[in-house]
Formats: sequence, structure tokens, C-alpha cells
Amino acid sequence: MALTITCPICGRRNGYEFRFGGEDRGPRPDEEGLTPETWCDYAHMNNCVASIQKEWWYHRDGCGSWFTIYRDTRINLEVSSPNLD
Amino acid sequence: MLWEKKRLWSPPAQLKTSYDAVIIGGGLHGLATAYFLARNHGMRRVAVIEKRYIGFGGAGRNTAIVRANQRTQENLPLYKEALDLWPVLTSELDFNLMFYNCGILNLAHSEAALKAMRLQVATAQFHGVESRLVDPQECKELVPALDISDRPRYPIYGGMYHPPGGIVRHDALVWGLAKGAAKHGIHIHQGTEVTGIGVENEKIVFVDTDKGKIHTPCVLNAAGAYAAAVSYQMLRIRLPISVLTIQAMVTQPLKPLLDHVVSSGSYHCYANQTLKGEIATGAHMDPWPNYTTQNTAYYIKHQAEALTELMPCLKGIKFMRIWGGLADMTPDMAPILDGNNPVKGYFMDCGWGYFGFKSSTVTGKYMAQFMATGECPEILKPFTLRRFEQHRLMGETAALVNYSPDN
Repeated sequence: MALTITCPICGRRNGYEFRFGGEDRGPRPDEEGLTPETWCDYAHMNNCVASIQKEWWYHRDGCGSWFTIYRDTRINLEVSSPNLD
Repeated sequence: MLWEKKRLWSPPAQLKTSYDAVIIGGGLHGLATAYFLARNHGMRRVAVIEKRYIGFGGAGRNTAIVRANQRTQENLPLYKEALDLWPVLTSELDFNLMFYNCGILNLAHSEAALKAMRLQVATAQFHGVESRLVDPQECKELVPALDISDRPRYPIYGGMYHPPGGIVRHDALVWGLAKGAAKHGIHIHQGTEVTGIGVENEKIVFVDTDKGKIHTPCVLNAAGAYAAAVSYQMLRIRLPISVLTIQAMVTQPLKPLLDHVVSSGSYHCYANQTLKGEIATGAHMDPWPNYTTQNTAYYIKHQAEALTELMPCLKGIKFMRIWGGLADMTPDMAPILDGNNPVKGYFMDCGWGYFGFKSSTVTGKYMAQFMATGECPEILKPFTLRRFEQHRLMGETAALVNYSPDN
């Protein structure tokens, strides 16, 4: 199973060069009026979809970029768009 | 007649339109909960809904190791009781679970790992579980195949020996629990998929399946690795779970050489010899969430390297079979056991990571109590979903697997 990931700077590289950075949860919630529930939701909670998800990656053994890609968790392959064909 | 073939249990004719409780997932946690609901609480109108077949998921893919040497006060009592249950269930289910308490040796490859083991041993001894530190010489006496010289990349500093741990035949447990549950009148519906959960006024009212609608006031989500997806997709309840593939493999059969389970956090490797003579061994988890259960050349190579570093006599042995299973990991390596919150009648038994096998029977017993009485048993209370927003994560993550020679 060859997961390759497209880094915005280095291009398409072997998945083991990267560190998975979690599901994309949108922007960090505002400090003002922040409740434990909102923070917990942002820090810990996942959708775990068996489908295409937007997620963060870090090019650990490369250029050090943080970026998002779309990946289908059922086949473990990067896909170009969030929409199912 | 001696050779007459008799089914262990018969599938029910058809899905009824109402049950007192519906259990999503015909894995070990689901089957055990169903069994104890009927046996201990007289709830017999219970359906176990399994999308594929019982034992398809983690129940049949784990490496069957059972132990009670966890790190924290909250976790250990549960696993201790689970360990004590094997002989009891073997006779109660009238099914040979092949419990083989051969003992478990965890290896330390650094001073830091030994210190961590000291704490783990203390927790076990406090709870009356046999567990002790051993020096490299005793490791060698326990497992003569080990290389305790300074040749390996991570030499052995010592270990933690836990004699009551061992192996249980996981398929036997699936079959035994299904037989026991069916005998008490539980309906096990295989090949049936849950497609929705109906909630009205914050209460569970029905479960939709591809074979029809079931009216019920009570649902248990015991879908294993798929529990988080079910929870989000059907109830919009997000869980702090990441689903990772974990791989395992067996070598060709060998003459007996390993009569304990041996494991090493630094090498990410655990191994035992099965009754058929194969070395069953497990490995890393994929570093990214996915639902594939595929295997990778990367880890076959890693596993061969780790095994032969620890036990050089295994050089040249071939892997015969390899498979993958899914582990639903939580941030604190402890499960989520909760119910009636935020939806009345909705219970969760998930987030077990790779601890789901050894804990299945005892969790089934207490979840059944929770579902039947509505009162959360003391032993399950620390595992509430709320602990994450209260910042009361458990300390199980600090157990050995994170200790490398770099600490």
C-alpha cells in the first residue's frame, strides 16, 4: 500500500516522510467566551468518516511545511477534491 | 451419534419489529454484553446486529494476549477481573476458550523504561496482581532464545514479568459467547446493517436497519473501530477517537521454543508461540487513520528486524500469513464507557484501541448492568466521555510503549 502525499513545495513524496496532523477542524476557537466543551471539541473530537476527509500533514523528513490534503480513508489514497466521484 | 454435527447456535428466523435493547456490533463486546444482559438481568428480548459476520472485526484479528499489568488505578481492576473470568467462563459457556496463562515478559531497553515498569509493577502489586521486575539474566532464563548481550541496537536492561497473563483463543470466545447468548434467547442477526438511529426528545426510540425498523428504548454502540463513525454519522456525537490499522503476522510453524509472551516497547514488537508452533507477532500501527486493514511491506520488514534482533535464532524463518485489524485509539489509551448522556438510552462501549480483546468479557458484564439498571457501575465511572472536556485524561499513555532508549 503505497500512500503518497503531495507536498506543496516538494511535490509527490512517500507517505512515511510525513507526519499526520489530524482532521481539519477549522479555525482555532476564540479565547473569549471559550467553554471546556468548545475547546474539547476542537482539541480532541474527530468525525472519523469512512470517506473523503480534509486533513493536515507535516513534511517531517522534508521541507517542514504544514498543509492540508483530501484523502479517502477507505482506500488510504490522496484524492484531488472533497467530492465523491 | 459421535460424529453428528450440531450447530452451536441457530440464527433467528427474522428481525422482530421491537426489542428491549439493540446492540450494534457482533464483536466480543457486543456478544458479551448480550450474554450478560440475558444471564444476569433476565433481558432476553435483545438483538445483536452485525453488518458482516460475528468475529469479522477486531474479535478475530487481535493477537489474543490477555494481561492485567496496566499502569493506572482506574484501568487495572477491570483487567484483573477479566483475567479471573477466563476459567469461570470456560465452564459456564461449556466451551474450551483455551486459556493458557503462560506469563508475559515485557522487556526494558533503558533505565527510563525500567523506572516506568517499577510504577506499573507497584500498581499491579497494590491490586494483588502478580507482577515483578526481573534482571536480564532472569529474562534469559524465562526465554532462552533472547539475546541479552550488548550486540542488539537496544540491549535488554531488564524486564517486567507477569505470570498470570497469557493467551486465549479469540475465535473460541466469539463462538462460546454466541452459543451462550443464543441459548438465553438473544437474537444474533448477521449480515444486517444498522443504517440509522432514531432519537425523539433526547431519547432513543428506534434503530433502522437494511432489513427493517426496530423499535427499542436502548441501544449499545459496540461497533469497535467503526463506533466513532457510527456515532458521528447517525447521532452527530463526535468522539475523541482515531482509527488506525494495526498489523499482525505468523511465521511458519516451529518446534516449541517460546513458552511465554514476550514484548518490547522499544522494538514495537510482541510475540508468542501458538499451539500450532507459529510465532504470532504484532507490530506498529499505521501512523495515519484509515479503514483499510491492508498490510505494508514497511512493517513486514520492521517486524523481521525486530524479531531477529530480540531472538537471533529466528533468522531465516519465513512469515506465513499476515493480516491487519483496526484499533480505535483515544488520546489517553483508555476506553469510552458511557450511557444516557447526552441521549437517554444510548450507551457507548468503544475507544478500546488495542485493549478490546482482553477486556471484552468483564466490560460486557458491567455494561449489561449499566443498561439493565440505568445506574453506572462504580468500576466504569472513570471512563466517561466527559473526562476529555474536564481535562481528566488517564495516565495509561505513559505506559511502556512510549519509553524508548532516548528517554
